[in-house]
Formats: sequence, C-alpha cells, structure tokens
Amino acid sequence: MVVLTIDGIDCSYGSVNVLKDIQFAVNSGEFLGILGPNGSGKTTLLRSISRVLKPQKGTILIGNENIYKMKTVQVAKQLAVVPQSTPVTFDFTSLEVVLMGRNPHMPRFKMEDKKDLAIARNSMELTRTWEFADRPVTELSGGERQRVIIARALTQEPKILLLDEPTTHLDISNQLEIMDLIKRLCKTKKLLIVAVFHDFNLAARYCESIILLNDGKIVAVGKSNETLTSENVRKVFNVDTIVKKHPITGYLHVIPISRPINQQQKSLSIHLICGCGTGSPLMKILKDEGYFVTAGVLNLLDTDQETAQLLKIPITSEAPFSPITEEAHTANLKMISKANVIVITPTQFGDGNLRNLNAAETALEKGIPIILLEDGSIEERDFTKGKATKYLTKLKNNGAITVKSTSELLHFLDKLENKNNKNFHQKKEP
Amino acid sequence: MKTDSEIAHLRRVSHWKLYLAVLLIVFGIVFVLSLNLGYAHIPFSDILTILAKQVPILDNLVGSSNILPKHEVIIVQIRLPRVICGALVGAALAAAGVTYQGIFRNPMADPYVIGASTGASLGAALVIVLGVGVSLLGVNSLQILAFVGSLITVLLVYNISRVGSRVPVTTLLLTGIAVSLFQNAIVTFLKVIAEESLLHGLVFWIIGSLAPTESWDKVWAILPFILIGTAVAYLYSRDLNILALGEDQAQHLGVEIEKVKTILLVSGALMTAAAVSISGLIGFVGLIIPHLTRVLVGPDHRVLLPTSAIVGASFLMICDALSRVVMGSGEAPVGVITALSGAPFFIYLLRRKRKGYTV
Repeated sequence: MVVLTIDGIDCSYGSVNVLKDIQFAVNSGEFLGILGPNGSGKTTLLRSISRVLKPQKGTILIGNENIYKMKTVQVAKQLAVVPQSTPVTFDFTSLEVVLMGRNPHMPRFKMEDKKDLAIARNSMELTRTWEFADRPVTELSGGERQRVIIARALTQEPKILLLDEPTTHLDISNQLEIMDLIKRLCKTKKLLIVAVFHDFNLAARYCESIILLNDGKIVAVGKSNETLTSENVRKVFNVDTIVKKHPITGYLHVIPISRPINQQQKSLSIHLICGCGTGSPLMKILKDEGYFVTAGVLNLLDTDQETAQLLKIPITSEAPFSPITEEAHTANLKMISKANVIVITPTQFGDGNLRNLNAAETALEKGIPIILLEDGSIEERDFTKGKATKYLTKLKNNGAITVKSTSELLHFLDKLENKNNKNFHQKKEP
Repeated sequence: MKTDSEIAHLRRVSHWKLYLAVLLIVFGIVFVLSLNLGYAHIPFSDILTILAKQVPILDNLVGSSNILPKHEVIIVQIRLPRVICGALVGAALAAAGVTYQGIFRNPMADPYVIGASTGASLGAALVIVLGVGVSLLGVNSLQILAFVGSLITVLLVYNISRVGSRVPVTTLLLTGIAVSLFQNAIVTFLKVIAEESLLHGLVFWIIGSLAPTESWDKVWAILPFILIGTAVAYLYSRDLNILALGEDQAQHLGVEIEKVKTILLVSGALMTAAAVSISGLIGFVGLIIPHLTRVLVGPDHRVLLPTSAIVGASFLMICDALSRVVMGSGEAPVGVITALSGAPFFIYLLRRKRKGYTV
C-alpha cells in the first residue's frame, strides 16, 4: 500500500504561476482522473509529481517521503510515467525500449539478466507487444508504440503510474484496450493511477474520482458523478453539456451542446407542439436565436420534455404515458394564449396527444399564426385513424403556413419578428 | 511463444562479444598494414618481429639478427607513434561523436558541434600567426593552446546555455553555432593578416593531418585524456540509451539528466580537445563512424561506444595510410581523405529510406 499526497503545491514557469495551492491524496488501487482546459496546469501537475518540475511551495509525498528529497532512482523504482507520445531518436527495438524500464533496478555495471527479461516479457505480453519485440519502435504505429511505452512503464514495476493523456493520438479500439488494461492493473496489482484526460467520457468510464482543474486551481474534486456535472463543466470549460448516465454502459456520458451564445433577446414568443424528440433540435436553435420558447403538452420522460428541462424551457406537462387530461389541456391553452406564434413539429399523433391539435385550432381561431413544419406525409405519423390528418388539413385550410425545413422556418420567424417589432414601435409612438 | 534462446536472439546486445572480436581482428590487420606503408619498404615479417621485440616477454623468443637497425628505428620511433596517434584520434573522435549524438538526440551532431573545433583552431591560429608561445613539459605551445581553446570554448558554450540548473539541448546547439561563428571570424581575420609562409601551416592544421605525430611525446600527451574520456562515457552508456526517449522520460527512469549531461559533455570535450590538439580538425570521423557502427551493431550505447571507437581507429589509420601514399612523394592531409570518403558515404546513408532516423 502506498499513498501519494500532494500537499499545497505552487508551481511556476519563470514568473508565470501555473499551479496554485493544489492539494489531494490518492491511495493504492485508486484511479484518479485530472480534467481541465488547455493551459489549466494538468501537465505541469504531472511533471511536478514525477519530480521533473520542483514546486516553489508545498510538498509531494510518496508514503512519508518527500520525493524532492529522494534520489531520482529511488523515485523511479516507485513511480512510472506514460507521456502523450514518445519520439525515439535511434532505432531501438521494442524489447530494448521495454528493457530500459529495468534501469532504476540495475546497478551501473550490470547487463539485463534472465529475471529482467522475464519481467519485460511479461509486461509485453500484457500489452500485446511481444509479437513485435524485435521490431524497431521507429517503425511502429502510434498505438503500437504507446503500448510499448506502457510495457516499459510496467517493467519499472512501479507502485504509482502517471499517465498524460495516454490515448490522445489513438483510435477508439486502441483507446479502450489500453484503458481497460490500465484499469485492470489498477485493480489486480493495486496500482495507484493518476491520469490526465482530455475526453470526459473516457475519464467518466475509468476513474473513480476526478479532479477538475482550471487556471491552476482545483475547481472540484470527488467521485466522478459528483464532479462531472454540467454546472462544473460549464464553469470550467464554458460549454453547455448534457451529463447523463448512458442507458447501455451505465457510465456517465457528457455530451457537449454548444458554447453559450449571448444572443439578444427577441420579442417573439414561440410555443412548440412537439413530442418524441421532434422538438428537441428546434428548442435549442430557437433558444440560441433569442426567441422565448414554450412547449406543451408533453408527457414526462418524453425526449422533448427532457430537452426542455435541460434548456430551462417552460412547458405544460402530463404524467408519463397518459392521455392529455382536461387540466393539462387548459393549462396549455393558457400558455398558448401568451405566444405570438405556434410551431407544430412533424411528431406522431395518437389519441393521447390529439388534444394538442385541438389547442392549435383554438389558437388559430384567436388569430395566433400557426406554422407546420413538415417532412414526409402526415398519414405515416397519424395513429388516430385519420383524425389527426383531418385536424391538420383543417388548420392548413384556415391559414396555417407550411414550411419544409428549419431554415425556411427561421426565415419566416425572422420576418414575423421584424413585423412584431414595427407594430411594437408604432404602438409606442402613435 | 518464444523460447529463451529466441529472446537472446532478439537482443542485438547479446552479440556484442562477437562484434568486438571481429572488429578487433580487423583493427589488428589494419594496424600492421599501416605500419607497412611508407617510403621505406619493410617486409611484414620484419614488422611483426620488431613489434614482438617491444613486448617484454616476447622479445627473448624472436630472433632479431636479420633486421636492419634502420628499419627498427623507422618502425618504432616514426611509424608506430604515428599509427597509434591515428588510432587514438580516430577512436576519440568516434567515441565523442557517439556521446554527442546521444546527448543531443540528434544523429547529425558531431564532436565539433558545440565549438570544440573553432576553439581549437583559434588557439592554433594564435600560435601559428602571432607566435604566442608557451611550452610545458616538452609539449609544444600549438598543442597546448589548441587543447585549451577547445576545452574552454565548450565550457563557455555550456555555461552560456545554462538556464538555472538546466541546460536545454536546443539552446546548447544554437549557442555552439553562435560562438563558433564568432571564433571563426577571428580565425579568418588572423588568416588575412598572416604572412604567406605561416598561412600554409595554419591551413594545413585546420584541414587536419597526422604528419606532426611522428613522436612518442604526442602519444603520451593525449593518451590519458582519451582513455579517461572514453571510460567515463562508457560508464554512462546506459544513460545515453535512455536519453533517446527524451530528457523527461530519462528522468522518470532514474537518470539524473543534468548531472549525466554535464559529465558526458565534459568527457566528450576532453576526448575531442586531445584529438584536435595533435592532429588539427579532422572532419567526418565523428559524424560518420557512429552512423556506420550503429547500422552494424544497433543503437545500444554499451556496445556502440566501444565498437565505434575501434571502427573509428581503424578508419583513421586507413585514411592516414592513404594520405601517405596517394600523392607519391609528399602527403595529402588526412582531413581531405576523410572528407572525400566520408561525405559521399554520408549522403548514401541519408538516402537509405528504410533506415531513416527520426530526428
């Protein structure tokens, strides 16, 4: 068992302070991920822990020993590092590079013996690199070479393994293979692992705990599901994301939506009649454009309802898998009456949500313009034996406008917005 | 699944004894052949007898009655020191080349890359052109100033490049270039103001020649530096291997890189300074020989360093032998021969596609 303790370190390059008061501790068998934007100090932190860059303040301890008071060789016996990439100058073979991992364990005048070779071979078989043991590393692909470097790190027989974005340059299958291996070693050999990641999902999949770093300071630290929240990601990366547990893998999943746009708020208020995910992209686009968006009636757990919740769009909702009740319908009519325009997305209609079309009809009678976004025929998504089709045809006959695409819709809304603004000004200055 | 013997086969290092034996035999043959070449014709049997006479135990076993005393003097007092000096200089330049290519992780580096050559030529120019003269224990002032100039320049470049406790390799290379250009300017100026009779000596010295080494003082003057330099570099040969992965990774593997770099730079500088002090600036040996040997024995410095030294020694002995015979009477400077044979070979190496080195 070993504990790695980072105790209040400050680090700087020249006069630029890169790390400020970093403090955390990791135990054997734990997998800690470090996430943060470019220039947040992730790599500096790893360099500092690996005894390359001495911090100006604070200490780094392996067990009870300050690594900067230990000899380089003593640290190398306990701690190995896998960098992002390793340019190798001369054409050493894979085996020769892996055997370099024995260096801290060998006296100056010794050549590698059988035991060293056995250790090297074992790590090469673990990383599936033994098959090209005699090939020069300079001729290997990126993934193969990185596996050789990991084999070299394992040959050091360390207790602590530091990884600096170890799979950044690799394809997805290599990424998973290497990370699976490292996770396995973490559990079976009780390796202590600290890894810098660029990829949230990779980090969420493999790390038990995560540190979010920004501007050289720790923003959040804790279990992955506590630190990886869309609030934290927004705070650190200034990006809107959806963080969800993936239904198949069970791992947290971070999906970037966009950087927040500071669009001027528009005067138009748009109500969406949607469902089954047909309204989700529109909600995002309209909100980014600066429109005030509402939607309803949506069943709880419907994709569009979840999107609306994430985007903080007000909706009228109904219990899951239930037909729209009188109560919800009334609430929806009230919401619609405040809208300047209604957009009906190409969603499916069944007896459960047919009332939404009834609401649209009421609105049209009150003079609120209706836009039908259509793609493909109505009949295909009508599960009401023609009732929905009848409603929609009636809407069209009574002046509802049909658009074929989102861009056409936006163009139309833009014209409406200008008209609305003019009316607004005319009212103001008669 | 590969067996133990296959593991051994995978490792080029395990052949090091074979490589060493073969190269030593080649070295021996070249050594004797070099002694044979020269104005006076001395048969091989006589050369071997004379050599045997020099060895304390063998001298009683060989009959030496039929050997001309004149021949013995030529071999022992003139050709032997020159051939030994050639071997020492060749070995030193090749070993220093291996060391510098390892430190700089750059196969284009050579022993002269951080100013050892221009420092030496400045020292030599001061002696030849201005007649600056010091004499120490019978070693002439040209040799001393070349040695000191070379060593001081390398240490100067090293100290200029130091940032805190670190010496970044790129800074070192660039500083080397800048300092070299500066010193070269002074040497050029000295050439301009030099009397014509002196100019020839300076030009000859800068091209490099083993002609001034036909005495045993020269051997004794450089032997300790070259032996110590090579031995120290050999001690750190495993660290040189690991440096190929970059300095950070070397440190992660337990190499105290700043200390190791300093030690290796100084031992390389000692070898180079000793070599140039007696022979002038013989080019290409320090660049080509490490490349050639690497192709033969692989990049492991524990094998590469000693084998390069032997190959370098043999190569320079051959070039020196050629320099003595190609022009009939008189001598071609050996630096011309090494460059003439080395440059095309180097281009050939660069053009080889599969074995392209990553720089």
